[in-house]
Amino acid sequence: MTAPIHSIASTPIGEGPTGSAPKRFGPARLGIYAFLVISALFFLLPLYVMVVTSVKPMAEIRAGGIFALPMDMTFEPWVKAWSSACTGLDCRGISPGFWNSVQILIPSVFLSIFVGALTGYALSFWRVRGANLLFAVLLMGAFLPYQVFIYPLVRIYSATGMFSTIYALVLTHVIFGLPVMTLLFRNYYAGIPIDLFKAARVDGGRFFSIFFRLMLPMSVPMLVVAVILQVTGIWNDFIMGLTFGGLANRPMTVQLTNLVAPTEGEIAYNVNMAATIMTAAVPLVVYFISGRWFVRGIAAGAVKG
Amino acid sequence: MKQGSIRWSVYAGLTPAILIVVFAYVGTMIWTIGISFTDSRMLPVARFAGISQYVRLFGSDRWLTSLQNMVLFGVLMIGISLALGFLLAVALDQRVRAEGFLRTVILYPYAMSFIVTGLVWQWILGPTLGIQETVRGWGFENFRFDWIVQKETAIYCVVLAGIWHAAGLVMAIMLAGLRGIDQDLWKASRIDGIKPWRFYLHIVIPMLRPSFISATVLLSLGVVKLYDLVLVLTGGGPGFSSDVPAKFVMDYLFQRQNIGLATAAATTLLITVLCVLTPWLYAEYFRAERPKE
Amino acid sequence: MSRYRALLGATMLAVAAIQPAGAAEKAEVLHWWTTQSQSKAVKVFADAFSAAGGEWVDNAIVNGDVAKPTGINRIVGGNPPTVMMMNAGKQFGELADQGLLRNLDDVAATEGWQASLPADVLAAVSRDGHIYAVPVNLQTPNWLWYNKALFEKFGVEEPKTWEDFFAVADKFQQGGIIPLAFGAQAWQQHQLFNGVLAGAGGRDLYMSVFRDKNPEAVKGAEFKRVAEVYAKLRSYTDPGSPNRSFNEAASMVITGKAAMHIMGDWEKGEFTSAGWVAGKDYGCVLGLGEQNFLMDSNVFIMPETRSESGARAQDMMARVMLDKDVQVEFNNLKGSIPVRNDVDTSGLDACSKIGLEALKDPGKQLAGPDWLAGADMLNSLADVVVEYWATPSETPEQFAEKYAAVLAEFQE
Repeated sequence: MTAPIHSIASTPIGEGPTGSAPKRFGPARLGIYAFLVISALFFLLPLYVMVVTSVKPMAEIRAGGIFALPMDMTFEPWVKAWSSACTGLDCRGISPGFWNSVQILIPSVFLSIFVGALTGYALSFWRVRGANLLFAVLLMGAFLPYQVFIYPLVRIYSATGMFSTIYALVLTHVIFGLPVMTLLFRNYYAGIPIDLFKAARVDGGRFFSIFFRLMLPMSVPMLVVAVILQVTGIWNDFIMGLTFGGLANRPMTVQLTNLVAPTEGEIAYNVNMAATIMTAAVPLVVYFISGRWFVRGIAAGAVKG
Repeated sequence: MKQGSIRWSVYAGLTPAILIVVFAYVGTMIWTIGISFTDSRMLPVARFAGISQYVRLFGSDRWLTSLQNMVLFGVLMIGISLALGFLLAVALDQRVRAEGFLRTVILYPYAMSFIVTGLVWQWILGPTLGIQETVRGWGFENFRFDWIVQKETAIYCVVLAGIWHAAGLVMAIMLAGLRGIDQDLWKASRIDGIKPWRFYLHIVIPMLRPSFISATVLLSLGVVKLYDLVLVLTGGGPGFSSDVPAKFVMDYLFQRQNIGLATAAATTLLITVLCVLTPWLYAEYFRAERPKE
Repeated sequence: MSRYRALLGATMLAVAAIQPAGAAEKAEVLHWWTTQSQSKAVKVFADAFSAAGGEWVDNAIVNGDVAKPTGINRIVGGNPPTVMMMNAGKQFGELADQGLLRNLDDVAATEGWQASLPADVLAAVSRDGHIYAVPVNLQTPNWLWYNKALFEKFGVEEPKTWEDFFAVADKFQQGGIIPLAFGAQAWQQHQLFNGVLAGAGGRDLYMSVFRDKNPEAVKGAEFKRVAEVYAKLRSYTDPGSPNRSFNEAASMVITGKAAMHIMGDWEKGEFTSAGWVAGKDYGCVLGLGEQNFLMDSNVFIMPETRSESGARAQDMMARVMLDKDVQVEFNNLKGSIPVRNDVDTSGLDACSKIGLEALKDPGKQLAGPDWLAGADMLNSLADVVVEYWATPSETPEQFAEKYAAVLAEFQE
């Protein structure tokens, strides 16, 4: 039990409940169920509101608010949100934002995990001078508010002509993903028997060959966690996309805030909520598919905030 | 020499990390701190201005309000999320039906971005559309629930949305902790006839100390970085009553173009975090590397 | 649109005479005019520029708060847009000081800006005696717009003073109509307050605040009255106002949910796209109270470029934007007043004509806050104003004290 972050990441929710076995269905159990059901309703409420409102025509929203069940279900708001809702003059819906996010996501996830794994590997097996210092600064980096770094980065990107390009955005995700990724892999490799590494050295393995041939193939569980973590984190990012992405590369979250900002006349809540669900869809799908792995991922990655 | 070339390949492998640390972390940090001692406005200038930006910062109602909000949000959001998450974990741990479903429902908000969280709660809490309007529609014409547009209460809406987002995480951590507790302890307590609540209070909670600590650490990171949620939920308003430090910095950096003041605020935030963080990080990561035996 | 085409043809010929044939001069234009009416207006520039042989690369960013820093960062980083929108006044001063903006004295001299542009406007685009921006319009933020049908239905006259306004507003409130559409965003709140300051407080008070930054000036009875009027407005707005955008508020007037709205000339764009006609569907009152025109102007700055073709494109853009016909066409769509004083104004709508009249009377002209004070001071004042609006328990005296404290900080 060293780092709590590591311990959570590697401890799945166990097999069976440990609480006292149910006796009869007495008032205590009723209380437990009541508490759970009410809590579940609280957590479900926003999702319910979004889903229900997104399939109602505007007239129904005006008349019945956002909580009532739809009477005259329509999927038109979804179509509109995806392909024809306007932000300013641009009436292409939220789909450009979706594709931007995909374009940002793929290289960012790949590169940030690669650099993180490599750094974690180097730090845990190879003792070189300054490694501790490097790790200490990286750790700090995981915890510090972005606001400390953001302005100089803007200026650096501007000076190198990268500002408002997808490169700046990908690089930024690599930069701010590095601490957590390094931490994850360093701790993971710390759990691998050192003798295995020594044997590889004796066999003539070099720094990179050991990494690619031995360590990476052994890291599949951690890679899965890292992918879940980075996909969710980068998809949900707002501040980096807003600051560095510029107009052409704004991710879906940024475009969502533009889309829901009212421009002409009545606010189309149904369209807005459909767009919001779409923006939430990717992490939600990751969540539902990955299940228990997700718990490890977010717990480990919450360091990123 | 072989040894030498290997060392160079290690450094080659570490190059991306070294570059990032030197330029993107340390370099930018020094730059930011440097600007905070100048009288830069729209553009950074090298005119040294002593601590005048800091004086102005701490004379600003808006900054003090945002600091106060951060503390208020932090204490309430973390406190309530810990309590709620722990209770949920305990309840889920009572061999309830549909545990998997309930777990999924409680945790899914954590997968959502703060943008989505903020938007949906803004719709629910907004007086012209959400709960207030709906209850009035049921015939309670004088029903009032307009916290989000009231200066005194807007920040509690941020707290509410924050809890909704984070309580599931605490639940997951606590449940993992509970499942890690030795089964024999439960049997022993039952044989000794200890009341369940006493058992939880005096034995389980102390044993879950590491889970509480890591949950607290994870949640407090979100507190310092709190930005997107406030931006979409309240916009920092009414007035600047629900402003938070991260938003203060962003506003002064980019909209108000007063980077001297913004960097002074960022530096203050940085120092605050470092003061809390350094001892903890040291204890967690570096002391542990020394041989214990 | 045939008139429009003819106009373009004329422009094309005029500029073609000056410009030798060759490759199109490319100009990337960064701006934040993105609502429907604004985009139509900006298209006048784009079309005229293309007609003159240039290539307009449109870079419209939805939110000015995002667009401005984006552009500034690119200018500072050495990768500037060819032309960028700004507001007249002190905003671009720092960029000019650091030598990042092109000095436009030559174009101004050959085009005779001295003769055709008002002196105040020229002063507002100059820094240390040199011109650094192209002004394209004149507008004022303190119009009262109202729904004429509602006024007729309630049988009320258009208000001229704040007293009138409150009397009218009471009637609407009793009749279940929201008297004043309002969006409680910081910029709208501050703009509304400055309108009250000029209209209810008077020009002397206004000038001692923004020009002289005199904290003593706000301790008197005039400022107290301003504070009271402003606070009273709160009770005529609806609870949905926080964070509402100006065009959403405008649509409340259009749909008849609200009777009046206080906003700048650009409001007309919203009305026009709803098919409304000035003087028929909506009415306008300039500056309740003293009826001042608070001069504000959209300008375009031309960052220093390393390429010669960039500079040529900039010169061409400056000429095109201030072309007489382009000025009329653009401002008709934008809802603002042409900045040149030698153009045909007969095509202006009823409201713009009121504005134009006011501009002829020096006693009604006032430089806008942006022309008189730096952004830092204005933002600090905005904080105080916004806080006052959000705090019903704050007294006018407490407010005046905080306001004075900001002025004291910036007094030279």
